[in-house]
Amino acid sequence: MDFCALIVESVYGSSQYPFNRQFGPVSVSIEPSGNFSLYRRVQPGRTVEKVIGNREGTVVVNPVEPVHLPGEVTGMLELHFTPISLEPESSCKIYLKFPVEIGVFLQGRGDGFDVLDIFSLARPRFSLYGTPERGLITRHADTRVYDQVPATDPLEEGVMALSVKNSSRSWVEVSRAVFDHRNMHLYHGEMVAMTAQMEVFSREVAETRILARAPAEGMQASVRLFSAGKSFIPEIPLFLMEYGVGE
Amino acid sequence: MLDTIVFGTVTVLDLMIFALTILVAFVISRIVGIYLKKSLSDHIQKTELAKLIRVVQAAIILIGVYLGLPSFDVHIADLLIVGGTAGLVLAFATQKIASNFGSGIFLLAERPVKIGDNIRIEDISGAVEEIHILSTIVRTDDGVYVRIPNEKVFTSDIINYMANPARRFEYVLRIGYDHDTALAVRVITGLLEAHPYVLAHPGPAVFVSALEESGVQMKVQGWAPSPVYGMVRNELLGSIKSAMQEQGIETPSPRVRITGGEW
Repeated sequence: MDFCALIVESVYGSSQYPFNRQFGPVSVSIEPSGNFSLYRRVQPGRTVEKVIGNREGTVVVNPVEPVHLPGEVTGMLELHFTPISLEPESSCKIYLKFPVEIGVFLQGRGDGFDVLDIFSLARPRFSLYGTPERGLITRHADTRVYDQVPATDPLEEGVMALSVKNSSRSWVEVSRAVFDHRNMHLYHGEMVAMTAQMEVFSREVAETRILARAPAEGMQASVRLFSAGKSFIPEIPLFLMEYGVGE
Repeated sequence: MLDTIVFGTVTVLDLMIFALTILVAFVISRIVGIYLKKSLSDHIQKTELAKLIRVVQAAIILIGVYLGLPSFDVHIADLLIVGGTAGLVLAFATQKIASNFGSGIFLLAERPVKIGDNIRIEDISGAVEEIHILSTIVRTDDGVYVRIPNEKVFTSDIINYMANPARRFEYVLRIGYDHDTALAVRVITGLLEAHPYVLAHPGPAVFVSALEESGVQMKVQGWAPSPVYGMVRNELLGSIKSAMQEQGIETPSPRVRITGGEW
């Protein structure tokens, strides 16, 4: 099965407000309130409210880089997967699942977006990549390795098509991949997806990058929190994994 | 042409050498300024960085003037006597300032702390708010502004709670011999694994660490990201207590055995 077969109607996209939409157990709405609008996210045990300074406008809801909840302690996503052994100078394409966070943006008159809210149905976990002295905190997710696009709930999980290339002269067992949110490009259709590459140079060193390319025709590029936040930190093309590619 | 005397014994060549020396010093000062700006802009406030760059650039140009003076028949030996005496007086007058300034430079080079870090220097603990050339500003945990001279920061033992990305927490618990230790391990492990900030790798550990007279001693260990370490540690301790109570697992009261002869 390929990504193309799974593009039907997306739960994500832009709408004019007033609007009301259900994301699993989470209800998101923007309703007129006097001269303003009231944004409300209702989920079991918690309600978030914000006032928007106009009565009409465009709201965009789409999956965002999954590194912001419950608080911003890292910008890295680490996927732990079933170990896969690669022979020297070989490559393969695998599919992995990753957790999804959902961003709610207000669209300005130009191309600008303002982040209104972020929520997630996925349970966040964190991990340490490297040593306690010099390592990095990462948003952690365990996943199986799939040889074709697995079925997912687009509100909780996305699918990463990862091309792994072993450029070393020995067999390498790969069971983790770390990605920087500064080069994370998500796309959505009926499912959420990313296309990534990983080049393994040794058991210790690899390069990862996420391509700014839709995994299939018709998938929409998500509005990114990294660019919507008007960060002055430059986008980086790749991330260098220096602390190993296995356990 | 180059031998033409301009004034006194100074020739056109002397003037050209002097001008060239100043020009080289100026270029070096600009390069050093750009280098300092690039390498220190993440570690020091803009205004402080601008001051530091100006001081360093002025020093480089002064050195250039000093080196160029022999071309005007001004001898360095004479200047050393005059400059040395003046320098000695100045050094005595400003030794504390110079010491703090020098410490500030070394702190910027060594970078044991950065803005936002939670640190402890002697009996002061809190978050680093600002790093100036002469002093470091710390906001203590109860919100008090403290200015610490850089000399003190540089020469003291600094404990930086944020220097490493993750920190390990540990609790030592005791449960009675008549309670199920395996159940306690399961309950606590479940709590640790459910908490988002308890790191999955390195994973948490719960184990029996000693069999004591007053009960079974258990250790609970886990890692958390440094910025949220305190919050995680406090939250979990309360959760563990509540969960143990719910399961009917109690901490034994201290036992005292009194033996004696006749009353």
